[in-house]
Amino acid sequence: MLSGLFKRFTTKKNSKDAAKKRLQFSLIYDKLEVNDTTLTDLQQDIVDVISKYFEIDTDSLELKVKRDENVSALVFNTPILHVKRKQV
Amino acid sequence: MEGKIIVVTSGKGGVGKTTATSSIGAALALEGNRVAIVDMDIGLRNLDVVMGLENRIVFNIVDVVLGRCKVEQAAIRDRRIENLFLIPASQSDNKDVLTTAGVERVAKQLRAKFDYIIMDSPAGIERGFENSVVSADEALVICTPDVSAVRDADRVIGLLYARSLNPKLIVNRIEPARVMRGEMLSHEDVLEVLSIDLVGLVPMDEKVLISSNTGTPLVLQSDSKAGAAFRRIARRLNGEEDLPIEMPVYKTSMWQKISKTFGLKP
Repeated sequence: MLSGLFKRFTTKKNSKDAAKKRLQFSLIYDKLEVNDTTLTDLQQDIVDVISKYFEIDTDSLELKVKRDENVSALVFNTPILHVKRKQV
Repeated sequence: MEGKIIVVTSGKGGVGKTTATSSIGAALALEGNRVAIVDMDIGLRNLDVVMGLENRIVFNIVDVVLGRCKVEQAAIRDRRIENLFLIPASQSDNKDVLTTAGVERVAKQLRAKFDYIIMDSPAGIERGFENSVVSADEALVICTPDVSAVRDADRVIGLLYARSLNPKLIVNRIEPARVMRGEMLSHEDVLEVLSIDLVGLVPMDEKVLISSNTGTPLVLQSDSKAGAAFRRIARRLNGEEDLPIEMPVYKTSMWQKISKTFGLKP
C-alpha cells in the first residue's frame, strides 16, 4: 500500500508503453531488416539537416513508427525553437 | 451450400490456440451448424484431450489424406454437443507426410459435409502451417498481450496476407487489472501495432485449465468468462458481424475505488 502511495509521487513509466514502443520498432526492423544503429544514425542525420535551418529542441524530439496495412511510415516530430537566419 | 474453412493460427505456441479452436468450434455447433474441428498439429496432437475425446480415436487426418479411411470414419462425434466432430491429428507420423495437394483434396470433401471446418494450425510457419492454410477461406490469428506473441502474430499476418487471406485477430488472456495498472498491453495497443480487424477479446480465465483438466467444453460452462467470449466470437463468425465486442473489465470494489482515489495500489 505504501509502495502505491510512493508510486503516485514518482513518475515511473508504465512497462506496457515500453513494450509497445519496442514492438513497433522491432516490427519495422523485421520488415526492413534495418538495425538499431541504422535508425539512430538516421535520426542524427535528420537532426543535422533540420538544424541547418531551424533551432530545434533535441531533447523532446521523437521518432515514431506508424503502420498501415501495407505501408510503414516514420514520423519525426520536433518542436522548433527558432528559425535560423540565412547566412549571406 | 459449401462449408467454410477457418484456419486458427498464432505463430507463437502456448497462446491458447487449441482452446480457441475447440471453443469456437463447439460454439458454432451450438449455434446450429455442423462443425468439424481438424487438428493439423501432426505428431503433437492435443485437441483430442482438450475436448475429452482421446479414448475414441480410431483413424486420424493423416489416414484420411493418405486414403486409408473415409472422412466419416475419422470424424469423432462429440456426445455432449450435437453436430460437433473432431478429426484428430496423428501422433506417430511426421508432419511431412501431408502434402498441400492432399489436404486440398480432403478439404473439398469436408466442405461438402460440414458447414464449418475449423483447422487448428501448429505453431510455427513451416510445413504444418502451409498445410493448414492452403484451403482456408478465413483466418483467425490468436495472440496474447505480450511482446513475443504480438511479434510472431505480425509475422503470421504477413504470411496470411501473402496468401490473399484477410486475417482477423483474437486477443487472448487479457488481464484487465494489469492493463489498468499499465503492466499489460491493452487490446488497443495490440491493434495499433498489428493494424488488423478484431473479432474478439478474451479475458484470462481460470476455468480454461479446469475445463481442459476434465475434457469438458468451456463454452458449456455458464460461469466461464472466456467461454462466453468465445461464444460471442462464434456468433460474429456465424453472420452476426455487428454483435458488439465486449471489453474485459476489471471490477473495482468500493475499497479499491477509495484506495485508488488516494493513490494507493489498486
